[in-house]
Amino acid sequence: MDRDVSTLPPGLAGDPYRAHVRAWLAAHVPEGFLADQPGFRAPDLAACRDWEAAMHRGGLAGITWPTEYGGHGLSLREHLIANQEIGRRALPESVNSLGKELAGPIILAIGTEEQKRRYLPPLLQMREIWCQGFSEPNAGSDLAGLRTRATRDGSAWRVNGRKIWTSGAPNAQRCLLLARTGAVEDRHRGLALFAMRMDAPGVTVRPLRQMDGREHFAEVFMDDVVIDAEDALGAPDQGWSAAVRVLAIERATNRMYRAWRFENELNHLVRACRADATLARLLDGGAYHRRLAETVVDIEIVKAHVEPVVDSLLAGESIGDRGSLMKLHWSEAHQRFAALALELLEQAPPGAGPEVQAARARFQRIYLSARAETIYAGTTEIQLGIIGDRILKLPRESAKGGR
Amino acid sequence: MAQAETGKTEMGKTEMGTADKGNADMGKPGMGTAAVAAARDDRDGIAAFAETARHAVAACAALPVRERARQLAGDGLLGILAPESAGGLGLGPSFAAPVMEAAGAGLLGYPLAETLLLGAAFGSAPVGPAIVLGETIATIAWAGIAEGSGDRLSGTVGRAPLVDEADLLLVATRTGAALVPLDGAGVTVQPAFGLDLETPEHEVVLTDVTPVATLDAAATAALREDALPLWAAAIGGAAERCLALALEHVSTREQFGRTLVSFQALRHALARQKLAVEHVRAALERHAALVAAGAPEARLAARTSYAAATRFGIAAIESALQLHGGMGFTWEVEVHRHLRRARTVEAQGDAPGLHRRLAEDLLTANA
Ligand SMILES: Cc1cc2nc3c(=O)[nH]c(=O)nc-3n(C[C@H](O)[C@H](O)[C@H](O)COP(=O)(O)OP(=O)(O)OC[C@H]3O[C@@H](n4cnc5c(N)ncnc54)[C@H](O)[C@@H]3O)c2cc1C
Repeated sequence: MDRDVSTLPPGLAGDPYRAHVRAWLAAHVPEGFLADQPGFRAPDLAACRDWEAAMHRGGLAGITWPTEYGGHGLSLREHLIANQEIGRRALPESVNSLGKELAGPIILAIGTEEQKRRYLPPLLQMREIWCQGFSEPNAGSDLAGLRTRATRDGSAWRVNGRKIWTSGAPNAQRCLLLARTGAVEDRHRGLALFAMRMDAPGVTVRPLRQMDGREHFAEVFMDDVVIDAEDALGAPDQGWSAAVRVLAIERATNRMYRAWRFENELNHLVRACRADATLARLLDGGAYHRRLAETVVDIEIVKAHVEPVVDSLLAGESIGDRGSLMKLHWSEAHQRFAALALELLEQAPPGAGPEVQAARARFQRIYLSARAETIYAGTTEIQLGIIGDRILKLPRESAKGGR
Repeated sequence: MAQAETGKTEMGKTEMGTADKGNADMGKPGMGTAAVAAARDDRDGIAAFAETARHAVAACAALPVRERARQLAGDGLLGILAPESAGGLGLGPSFAAPVMEAAGAGLLGYPLAETLLLGAAFGSAPVGPAIVLGETIATIAWAGIAEGSGDRLSGTVGRAPLVDEADLLLVATRTGAALVPLDGAGVTVQPAFGLDLETPEHEVVLTDVTPVATLDAAATAALREDALPLWAAAIGGAAERCLALALEHVSTREQFGRTLVSFQALRHALARQKLAVEHVRAALERHAALVAAGAPEARLAARTSYAAATRFGIAAIESALQLHGGMGFTWEVEVHRHLRRARTVEAQGDAPGLHRRLAEDLLTANA
């Protein structure tokens, strides 16, 4: 199928689960799905849903979740293997990654038995897409300053407020919502987590046009939205610790395929340049050797950070603040690479062939979307702050912390 | 790495502290690979090694070179990679790394990487045991090639750390490498004006010198690849030491009526130094795990560790120097010594050439 699979290092072959994943992918990846292959057409939402539901049936999603909730009851080791194989192929990004990688794990950790049975299977079957309603106009980095209020109304909750930059909100059925039950001055205390229905009366989604032209993130307005008690996740004051855990996952293990997709992108870049005489000369001339080599090294370092996280989670240890080191590196490394790819491909002469044009389109998208990678999941500056405060434990004068 | 009082212990606490049940839910404990399990079992042994190495390196500072050799050998540090038949320990890179980190952090004045490599490469040769026991000081000329055949080698070689104090020198030849004695005729050692102050480099002019042992091309290439993670560990240890010094400096010095560490720009600079140290450590641990698993990716991992050390590690040392302000430019503050060594190691390992090879491999794989 795609060529980078044939050049896999032999040390990664051999595992029976890996063989299953490869065989399944070889048999099931739909026509035109791979962004590094001829005939690529960006799949629409319905196609992505169908594909991800099929991946779940094939054992490639919900890998570590218990079988009673629709999972496959395997370990993070298999999760890593599946991600390596998924990463090696230029497959579309998940349209429900917030559900599968953030909401799901948090529900497994703090949800009731009933909630796990109610939320998790539809999520894996792609009948419910989730979004993450944390950020607000005045609470981005300073997440603890959020103002969306949840007040008791009998046994239910009544929510008022406004979220922003909520990825995937226009397509979502559920929102992992962080809202305030106490006073704003309480900051980290009095925050609660909800599984809000996006079709509940009073929820309005207004898509925002992104700098890459897409309308993927949105504003979410909540006007007297009633949330049943059964949709409250964890205790009303557990919201912050749950949110912190969500963010740790987001930084460290979310999209575990990242290093291997990054490798796929690099290989695609080289092949595309090879397809054009001008670009091939540029590559072979050596002027780009240093940056290409640094990209290879950057990718290997992403792997070197993520693999031990799997080992320590398997050993029952927590991710802790290490996620900040990883997030800082992958986001900046990917931006460096994207800039290199853009610089190279934009030197293509007029009339360059379809392979080069397809690569230009892919890497323009990647270049633009990579700008967001140092912003979401905690900006670069916030990660540096966490490393200083919590890993190096630098003495500080003010005790105020960001997200 | 070598400095227990810096980030290592902090990180360790986070990792080893109370198990987070929420994250544990994501997977089942105890499913790690055999290599990982073995590495965990080795942890105590490796930590003990690191401790021994720190003490030995500290003790060496006050000793003349010959006695440094005996000190290091006495602590079992010269034969980590050498086979047991040569008096070595026959251990892998996971044990060599913390020792090299200690050497880097402690500015050891001994060609330790060279000794470890030669002990392993000549473990079954008659010269092996003397190198491992510290009776013979051996080093490597990382640049240049000696011409000639069989028992008559001539030429100018360079980038040989501490060769003025050594008995044997490994030089590259057309067929691999040769170990030549330095005490006989036909050997002229001259200064090479390198940056390093701990194990200064010299050039050596050889005229019809007869080797005592040789390596074939494959063994020579392997030795060069094996040097990469050792150098990486040395730079990583140095970077961690410099981070500790910078942290100490900005935590105690006051300007504008406050301690410097309260300025966010400096906190962020320290965070980036920490990131660099962790890159090198992560790359070395991955290399050691892949070697233990017998995986062919170990070779790229070794190259990665060295590339990461010369790129991120050196940048961290430079940043640590900057955070010292004017003090950083004094002879007395040791940061410049680390920088000198790291830049020398970057040249000895031919970091530009390594990057070229990494790029060529990428282009070949996608030809
Ligand atoms: C593509 C995209 C998708 C997103 N998806 C979601 C989502 O699904 N759900 C969600 O809840 N949020 C989402 N976000 C929001 C994201 O989490 C926030 O944008 C981010 O946390 C930064 O907050 P902010 O935009 O308010 O920036 P600000 O906090 O206002 O920051 C502006 C600048 O100031 C810097 N800064 C802020 N505080 C400090 C400080 N203490 N020290 C030094 N510098 C500082 C920042 O680093 C940044 O450079 C998304 C954002 C993007 C770009």
